[in-house]
Amino acid sequence: MGLLLHSNLPLAAAAEGEGIGWNIFFYTGLTIAVVLGFAALARKGLNARVYTSLPSRLAEHLYLFLEGMTVNVIGPQGKKYVPFLLALWSFIFVGNIMGLLLAATPTADWSLNISMAIITVVYVQYEGIKQNGVLGHIKHFAGPRLGGAMVIISGLIFVVEIVSECMKLVSLSLRLYGNIEGGHIVRTSLDSIIAGIPIGGILLPIKFFTCIIQAFVWTILTCTYLSIATSHGDEGEHHEAHGDHEQHPAVIAAHA
Amino acid sequence: MESIAVGIGLAVGIAGLGVGIGQGLAANGGLQGMARQPEAAKQINNSMLLALVFLELVFLLTFVLGFLLMGKIH
Repeated sequence: MGLLLHSNLPLAAAAEGEGIGWNIFFYTGLTIAVVLGFAALARKGLNARVYTSLPSRLAEHLYLFLEGMTVNVIGPQGKKYVPFLLALWSFIFVGNIMGLLLAATPTADWSLNISMAIITVVYVQYEGIKQNGVLGHIKHFAGPRLGGAMVIISGLIFVVEIVSECMKLVSLSLRLYGNIEGGHIVRTSLDSIIAGIPIGGILLPIKFFTCIIQAFVWTILTCTYLSIATSHGDEGEHHEAHGDHEQHPAVIAAHA
Repeated sequence: MESIAVGIGLAVGIAGLGVGIGQGLAANGGLQGMARQPEAAKQINNSMLLALVFLELVFLLTFVLGFLLMGKIH
């Protein structure tokens, strides 16, 4: 119980001189090194006529998986976002896996998560502005075009959308932080029931599953945000004309 | 001090109960939809995952709140 009694939240922990602290630079660097090393290994196998090296084949499957998801959510024009999503996925996945093998993990620290969330949200805004122009991007915050006195409703929608845009930062970062750090706390408290016997090890399979799901969730949410921000270009009318706009996953996210 | 500890336990427990029921309902709907229309499974799967993720956020907010409160116990 002693482990649970002091706060593990990074901000509170930093005030007390605890938490992952300066080690986060080491673990983040290690994560980046692993991701880049894997990418270099995978790239080496690309010269072959048929991909025979294991890293190349794994990378190919990962790419195809993410590309399928992106095309499913955004549409065929979303293929250009796959490199960004792949970078996010691999960084979050490797960072999460580090928590299973090593003492600490960078993704269990809120500061890294909020910085990744800022990068994601700013990139989405950038893509939206690139697609629709500054005015078009601001206009899409006001929702559908309503005539007459309904302008007030549009203003309200605008305020709500701005707030929800800012909440994306909080929700993205807290989701990853809560899932990873929560798993660590449950494991350490299970370990401390009987001294010397790591009972918490039984949680490792489900924690591994959580690592994959969280990396996937971050990328699919980025996909959804991208599809909302960029959908009001040429494809917007096309979707509405076919009436499949209601089933679009982006719509669920917009209402959530 | 004890009341804070009891409060954290109650908050996380009740949030877990509610979110468990909610996620169960969402998964129920999604899986039924997938079983009835396997050709739409991919789209339903994505939408269901998104719904689950947003439901889970409610629990995580309670979890972080519990964390913040835990700092007050000394």
